[in-house]
Amino acid sequence: MSSVKSMIFATATLLLLGACGNGDLSPSNTDLRPQVTPGTAGYQPSQLAIDFTLSDSLGNPFTLSDHFTGGAQPANAIVLYFTMWCPICTSHMDHMLFNVVPSFATRGNTAYIIVDYVSGSVAGTRASELANGYGGSAFTVLSDSNQTLFNLVNASMGTTVVIDGTGTVLMNEDYRGGANLTQTLNGVLP
Amino acid sequence: MPRILKNWIGTALLAGAVLATPSLAISASCCGGGSASSLILPKFGKAMVDLSFNVEQYDGFWDTTGRWTADPAGSELSQYRLNLGGAYRIANNWQISAMLPYVYNSNRYTGLTSNTEGVGDAAITVWYEAFDNIMCVWDVQSWEDLKPAIYLGSTLTVPTGISPYDDVSNNFDITGRGFYRLDASILLDKTIYPWNFTLGYTYGVHFERPVNREYGNYVQPYQKQLGNRSTFTTSFGYTYFTEKMQSITYTIAYADLRENKGKVNGAIDQTSGLRKQSFAGTVAWASDDRDWVVKTTFSYAPRRSGWGRNFPTTNVLTMGVSHVFR
Repeated sequence: MSSVKSMIFATATLLLLGACGNGDLSPSNTDLRPQVTPGTAGYQPSQLAIDFTLSDSLGNPFTLSDHFTGGAQPANAIVLYFTMWCPICTSHMDHMLFNVVPSFATRGNTAYIIVDYVSGSVAGTRASELANGYGGSAFTVLSDSNQTLFNLVNASMGTTVVIDGTGTVLMNEDYRGGANLTQTLNGVLP
Repeated sequence: MPRILKNWIGTALLAGAVLATPSLAISASCCGGGSASSLILPKFGKAMVDLSFNVEQYDGFWDTTGRWTADPAGSELSQYRLNLGGAYRIANNWQISAMLPYVYNSNRYTGLTSNTEGVGDAAITVWYEAFDNIMCVWDVQSWEDLKPAIYLGSTLTVPTGISPYDDVSNNFDITGRGFYRLDASILLDKTIYPWNFTLGYTYGVHFERPVNREYGNYVQPYQKQLGNRSTFTTSFGYTYFTEKMQSITYTIAYADLRENKGKVNGAIDQTSGLRKQSFAGTVAWASDDRDWVVKTTFSYAPRRSGWGRNFPTTNVLTMGVSHVFR
């Protein structure tokens, strides 16, 4: 039975090792968000969004600043959502498409932008867009083939960013249930 | 390693009871996470060690309506898990077990490649055996012979894995779900040689927790709770005995995993919740003294609409060996 005890000890040791440095065992509710200076360039809330240009799934260029006040296609708000076409992503996107978009359809002009950072090409992005049933939807789907915007925003799967017409970032967090997105749009749309 | 080359796939829950019970593989992915097997020690066994290896291949997913959708063209998503576990008898009808997986994620998309590894979520289980003698029979001579072996169990899933709320660079790092969960299980097992039949049901509650970080980025703290989870399993098996009384058991099993919608700050998260149905086939060899068991399980989830919801579709190949100490 000594070998059994050794195995039990080894398993317990592995458990402890697995726990080392793991914040999930004792999760914190302390607000540790870094302080940022409002108006500086970046993608944290209160910062000014750094401009970018990417191709949409049809090959057309999309430039963020075109949608700022005074731009070619001004919007009251720009919503960026980062997808890798996984079940959580499509769950979020469906919620946005069928709940959030209709809720604000009569309030100003919002650009709903889906950022595909895994398909690797415009053609791949278009194929994923169609395969997942978003062809012709209210979404503009961008191909972030080299993860340029993904890295700029410090994004992950499900990251949702809201930018107002002045270019100020209002929100940058996981989609969660969409409640904060709705609240943010409520605050910025006329 | 560039940040983008981290991993996203979570881990899986292998709810396979070894020996005369079904081997089931139910999984979670980016939405879900790391857990491990629960082991059942045979009656009169003092202890058991178990080592198993899973290969899980991802092939599309079911969306929120249950429609099956393929992964992006050119993608190849796999997860490999090495599970080490042990069970120990603490009293005549009580046993305790623990298992810890080590996870390796391999994901290839047309636009990026990612390989990461780490410990998954651990599971600690206590089982009570509601019977005093071996319930397997060769002949049914009375109603007593039809009584099944009944196991009542409770499993605590411990978030030892790497979750979205941990110190990670992004979602590609994940090997666990980040939540404690307490499961209550009942398993009915009846063997009338050479046939075996099992029914199992597990209900689990995730504990609410604060979150102040998402994929490495600190956020305004909030409370999150995953939905309650239930799993129904059933299996049917046939055992063939060799002349040396070694046994080969063939088992087919069905599993139905459901998870209710979770909550964010007390409000229902309408984008959460999941379901997965799967079938599994197992071949297990046991030595004549039943102290050694070598098993292989293949779990298959139909790539068809209606067999799941809001969850990846995966096939899982499991190979394992266990040894019982008398």
